Amino acid sequence: MAWQSPNGLVHAMHSIRRAAQLRPFLQRSVISASPISSPSTPAGLRQRMSARGYATELEPVAAAPINLAEFQAKPARIVPASAAYFSGSPKFIDHMLKLEALLARYASLPTVSPSEAPRMAWFKLLQFRDVVGEPVPTKKYKALVKLLQRLNRINPSVAPEEVRSALSLFLRPGNPYGIKPAPATVDEQGRARGKGKRKASSAVVHLVEGEGEVLVNGKTLNEVFPRLHDRESAVWPLRCTSRLDKYNVWATVQGGGVTGQAEAITLAVARALLVHEPGLKPILRKAGVITVDARRVERKKPGHVKARKMPTWVKR
Amino acid sequence: MIVRQLCVRQSRQLRALPRQSRILARFSSTETTFQTPVQTPIAEPGSRLETPSPSVAVPEPVRSDANKDLDKGLARKIQFHSLGSDVTGVYLPKSLLKYPPKATDVTLEMLLASQTHLGHSTSRWNPQNSRYIFGIREGVHIISLDQTAAYLRRAAKVVEEVAARGGLILFAGTRKGQKRIVVTAAELAQGYHIFERWIPGSLTNGEQILGHCEKKIVNGLDDEMKIWQEELAKYRSLKPDLVVCLNPIENVVLLHECGLNNVPTIGIIDTDADPTRVTYPIPANDDSLRSVTLIAGVLGRAGQAGQERRLKEAREGRLTYQAMDKLSVPAEEKESPAGTPSAATTEEPTRKSRTKDEDDD
Repeated sequence: MAWQSPNGLVHAMHSIRRAAQLRPFLQRSVISASPISSPSTPAGLRQRMSARGYATELEPVAAAPINLAEFQAKPARIVPASAAYFSGSPKFIDHMLKLEALLARYASLPTVSPSEAPRMAWFKLLQFRDVVGEPVPTKKYKALVKLLQRLNRINPSVAPEEVRSALSLFLRPGNPYGIKPAPATVDEQGRARGKGKRKASSAVVHLVEGEGEVLVNGKTLNEVFPRLHDRESAVWPLRCTSRLDKYNVWATVQGGGVTGQAEAITLAVARALLVHEPGLKPILRKAGVITVDARRVERKKPGHVKARKMPTWVKR
Repeated sequence: MIVRQLCVRQSRQLRALPRQSRILARFSSTETTFQTPVQTPIAEPGSRLETPSPSVAVPEPVRSDANKDLDKGLARKIQFHSLGSDVTGVYLPKSLLKYPPKATDVTLEMLLASQTHLGHSTSRWNPQNSRYIFGIREGVHIISLDQTAAYLRRAAKVVEEVAARGGLILFAGTRKGQKRIVVTAAELAQGYHIFERWIPGSLTNGEQILGHCEKKIVNGLDDEMKIWQEELAKYRSLKPDLVVCLNPIENVVLLHECGLNNVPTIGIIDTDADPTRVTYPIPANDDSLRSVTLIAGVLGRAGQAGQERRLKEAREGRLTYQAMDKLSVPAEEKESPAGTPSAATTEEPTRKSRTKDEDDD
């Protein structure tokens, strides 16, 4: 090609000479390309650009293939892991934004009333703080739980898998609402055990089939409760079901006063009776003896005489 | 009467079966009904409406109440979606958020429609803003939209260049209702967002406040690399390379910290704000969410363009910024961090764009 004409011969010689001049540069460029930290344009490219002459005279050297594997293996910079980095609580905000996006997407799905929604045990605040490792304030966590509950109200038959998996991230380990106490049974000696509380008293009753004897802390009912009303109320579950002469009651009761002790025994007897005869539940419910009275003495407040009583106004 | 009949016959709404009675009721006077001419087209729309139903088909056997509700809703949507007139040229509240314009597409009409021109009551003005103010209308300063557009374009350029050089861009808008705006802009620009309170000291006392937040090492293509984890945990907290503040009046502390740390800032400067607090002011209304949406959207789009450019270069094997070489930088050496694109790299674009802008002006 180039050898065929005298002019071409001159050009070809010229190009060989230039190539010889370039050789040290080329060698150096190979060396300088080896260190990892050369992010700028490849050295070979610069060489070619500076040594540009006639298009025909220098045999164009194709650039070395990009070694993408090497490029990818080079660390380039440090960036925050989350877009909410500068807020100081990136994980919490990421969770929040994710749930909000889910809700926006599925807001039109039919919902059920809160009472019909599946009962979920969300993280307690302290547990959640441990999980995300950030000091999440109470108010913000409440907002998150509100979002969770709204998502949980989506009708379970149409709730998308995406929502279900997102909600499961916020569940406490184990299933607190799945733990059911074992049903109480009559023991081998024919005793049914029931516990009851009222005011500051607590009673434990053992109920056995018998002739209607009642012992409270080893004493008879008359000795323990001088007032008729208390005696009546202590055995009211048996009386209202007319089982007074069919069971013996062995009760231990402690704490509180006479009324509290009597009514604690009521609850305990009713519960023990239910173990023997579960069919009595509607009657006992109606008689009001298996309803727990959770009222306790209200605490005294500073500035008050009692829990709520204020000191009398004095003019001076 | 004849005219009425014609109208009814030609209207598109007639094609919907359930609506027919309502329309008739509206047009009906004392006469009861007209049977023949109107009733004829009914059979056709019925069949037309049935055709799209396969797409809605929900498995037949399990039909809970919820499914039924869903079906009803979808069916109604399909039934009525194609009906009615096409309303155009109206304000759709979410369109700005969903499809923010590019800086080159921003027109003065768009700015006007987004209420960017409305300043504050004249008594509350900051005289330093006089060069951005066009005039007074009903006791309110009107911002010059020419200026707004020019400054917005300059700010967009800054955001784009910083993004193209791998800088960390922080969008901060802590007012009520700015959350979606800030998050959307940050998502577009692959930046960072703050929509709650700026914790004072996040820059000046970053170790304490951001120390527990996770960082990661990425390569030129933004893929995470699991190397040097122990050193990374001990590494100093990061600082943004550009802060876009949508409500500078409330974020004085943020801007102050940025000033102390030599972090350039972009801010929406209303007529009552101090324009010297930010590096690149955008004179505009910061009280209207619509105005803020437009401006944040434009900046987010610019950031997106910059990131795309950077990643394109990276795919060709070039880095647009100086790569970190080692992570052995001691935590106390804070002046010349080798890891992030440092002040040297981020200041270059800013200076460049500033000179360019001065040339434009």
